[in-house]
Amino acid sequence: MNRAMPARRMTRFWADRQLALKGLVVIALPLTILLGALVSLYIASNAEVRAENDVRRAFAIQRDTYQVHALLAEAAAGVRGYALTGQERFLEPYRKAEADLPLTMRRLDAAIRDREVRERFNRINELTSRKRDGLKSIVDLARAGNRAAIEPALVSNKIVLDAMRQEIELIQRREGVLLDQRRARVDEVRGRFLLLTAISAVIGLLGSLAAVYLFSTGIVRRVQMLEANAELLARGEELAEMPDDADEIGRLAQRMARASALLRGREQALRESEERFRLVIEEVQDYGIFALDTDGVVTSWNLGAQRIKGWEAEEILGHHFSRFYPEDTRAFLPAQMLDRARRDGTAEDEGWRLRKDGSPFWANVVITALHDDQGELRGFAKVTRDMTERRRSEEALRFAREEAIAANLAKSEFLSRTSHELRTPMSAILGFGQLLELDEDQFEPRHREALSQIMKAGRHLLSLINDLLDISSIEAGGAEVNLEQIDLGELLQEVHGLAAPIVATAGLRFVLEHPEESLVAWADRRRVIQVMLNLVSNAAKYNRTGTLVRLAYQTRGRDIRVEVEDDGEGVVSTEVSRLFTPFDRLGQQNRAKVDGTGLGLALSKRLVESMGGQIGYEAPEQGARFWFTLPTRAPQRASKRKAEQQSL
Amino acid sequence: MSGNLIDGAEIRARRILIIDDEDANVLLLASLLEREGYADIHTITDPTTALEAYVRLEPDLVLLDLMMPEVDGFQLLEAFKRHDRPDEFRPVLILTADSTIAARRRALALGAKDFVSKPFDVIEIALRIANLLETRILYQRLRG
Repeated sequence: MNRAMPARRMTRFWADRQLALKGLVVIALPLTILLGALVSLYIASNAEVRAENDVRRAFAIQRDTYQVHALLAEAAAGVRGYALTGQERFLEPYRKAEADLPLTMRRLDAAIRDREVRERFNRINELTSRKRDGLKSIVDLARAGNRAAIEPALVSNKIVLDAMRQEIELIQRREGVLLDQRRARVDEVRGRFLLLTAISAVIGLLGSLAAVYLFSTGIVRRVQMLEANAELLARGEELAEMPDDADEIGRLAQRMARASALLRGREQALRESEERFRLVIEEVQDYGIFALDTDGVVTSWNLGAQRIKGWEAEEILGHHFSRFYPEDTRAFLPAQMLDRARRDGTAEDEGWRLRKDGSPFWANVVITALHDDQGELRGFAKVTRDMTERRRSEEALRFAREEAIAANLAKSEFLSRTSHELRTPMSAILGFGQLLELDEDQFEPRHREALSQIMKAGRHLLSLINDLLDISSIEAGGAEVNLEQIDLGELLQEVHGLAAPIVATAGLRFVLEHPEESLVAWADRRRVIQVMLNLVSNAAKYNRTGTLVRLAYQTRGRDIRVEVEDDGEGVVSTEVSRLFTPFDRLGQQNRAKVDGTGLGLALSKRLVESMGGQIGYEAPEQGARFWFTLPTRAPQRASKRKAEQQSL
Repeated sequence: MSGNLIDGAEIRARRILIIDDEDANVLLLASLLEREGYADIHTITDPTTALEAYVRLEPDLVLLDLMMPEVDGFQLLEAFKRHDRPDEFRPVLILTADSTIAARRRALALGAKDFVSKPFDVIEIALRIANLLETRILYQRLRG
């Protein structure tokens, strides 16, 4: 552990370096090693050259010493020949030696390094000088013809040469030893050079291997892992673990891991949402939702479909959806539906379908074509609703409506007939009565009184019949409502004129208050007049303590409000709630004094409501105030339709 | 004012046909007209005989009820219209207890010249009858 730690730390240190540094190291390391090897090779080869030069010098020294000896020996032989014969040509070698010797001696002097050889060379040098002097003196003697002196000189000369020969031999021997030594040195240097070359090769190889290893561990292997991970990422699979090194590759790996985590998170969310959606669809009970392939074969099935149609999923999957259709439509309708869905994107139909047990149900069906991103048809979604109940209730409703219409017609018919049946005798009674009134002056007073009572009762009965029939016909919806735009200013002016005599008869002032702007309402002219006359005559009739009847109108929101007010006794608060009830005339004790059917307010209420307005009563400080509203806008569709029906 | 144009005696000499299934109404109208001085008054209470009487009597004015059994006033109006020459002005005054606008419009559209709801004011009826007859007389004079 303790030993592994630094190693791991090293590896980690290496892994964390930047790629540029790693590249530098990987390239520089073998290069450095190669350079070192080259330098050592250079040094080694220099050493070899030096050693070889030493050997060559030894040879040169040997050769030159021989040459010195040879030159002197030949010169001596020549001098002897000259001494004997006196012929000049024998002196040739002597002259050659005199010319060459200094050169050779200088060469030797430069080449010699060994101390022992130097000593001998010095001696040879001395001997050589003596020899040359000796030879010169012999030559001089020979020229002078001194034969006697020549012989001892020759002998002594011969001694010098022998000594010299001895010295030369010693040098030769010494140089031989040195040569052997130098040869050995050359061999040694050469061997060392070979070894160095081998070591350089090995180190270079190792360095390259190390570089490759570093490269592959630090970069290539991780890049390969990264590539494999990229492949996994593309396939959406989990990534292999990678060391979280701090270099570019490490960071790339970390980003890739983050991307993968993000992607997997999204995938998970999508899967969950799809799962939820699938569950929702499967659990829907009220709608049969299922899928068809492009040929119409059922490929999915939900609970609603099971509940409505009766088949379990495993019973119906893989079957063609035409089995939901009854026999009379099975041959063509399913294909038609799919064609329509293909063409228009969706096809809707309402009709009979079959359950598993063969029972029919009324279905609302929507088939939607499903396309993929390329617009290729992938199948159909089919939503089926069981509308049997609704269809039944619709039929019941239609039946009820028809009955109601029939009943309404019967009621209108009845009203019309009743109107006729009641009015016809009234016509006779009042008509004859009127005829009698024309001849009144011929009657006795009591007959006249009787006739007056008959006519009074008859007229009361007639107005009662008229009001009753009005109320009934409004309630039966049989009365016409002709809604139009009415200028209320004009209308109230008209009512003011019409009702003025009634108000005047009651001894009251009749005040009409106009607002500043002219107001237009949607109403039935005749009905508005009827209502206003009713209210005004009520105000006049019941106001026995006050002095005036006031008629006013103004805008109230979307409506126009008309008020009829008097300053009489007003209405007792407990009786206000019964004001608009038929036959409930208030203040029974006053009845004898006041004409009226007890239907006026009830009729007014129905008339106002038939025009879309409201009617009511409120108590001012003094007297009574009746009001009603009329809409300022065009009537709603419902009442319009009602009006159309009536005009038919 | 109408009385000034035509002599009252000429108006009252004209023939009036009353068609109503109610005896009381027929009697009322006849009594009214007699009291007003009209002399040539014919009454029909069986509507099935009304067209025959109309054709036979060629009245100057018809007082017609709308609601009658078997043959109603509308049918009779149509029949009268078919029988008369297009340029004939023979006024029909509708007297009916059906005061609905629909009935009023229908009757006037079929050629009725006036429309009065029952019960009616006898004096008003008398005036209307006189007016209609006066119009007929003037029309006949114009045509020569």
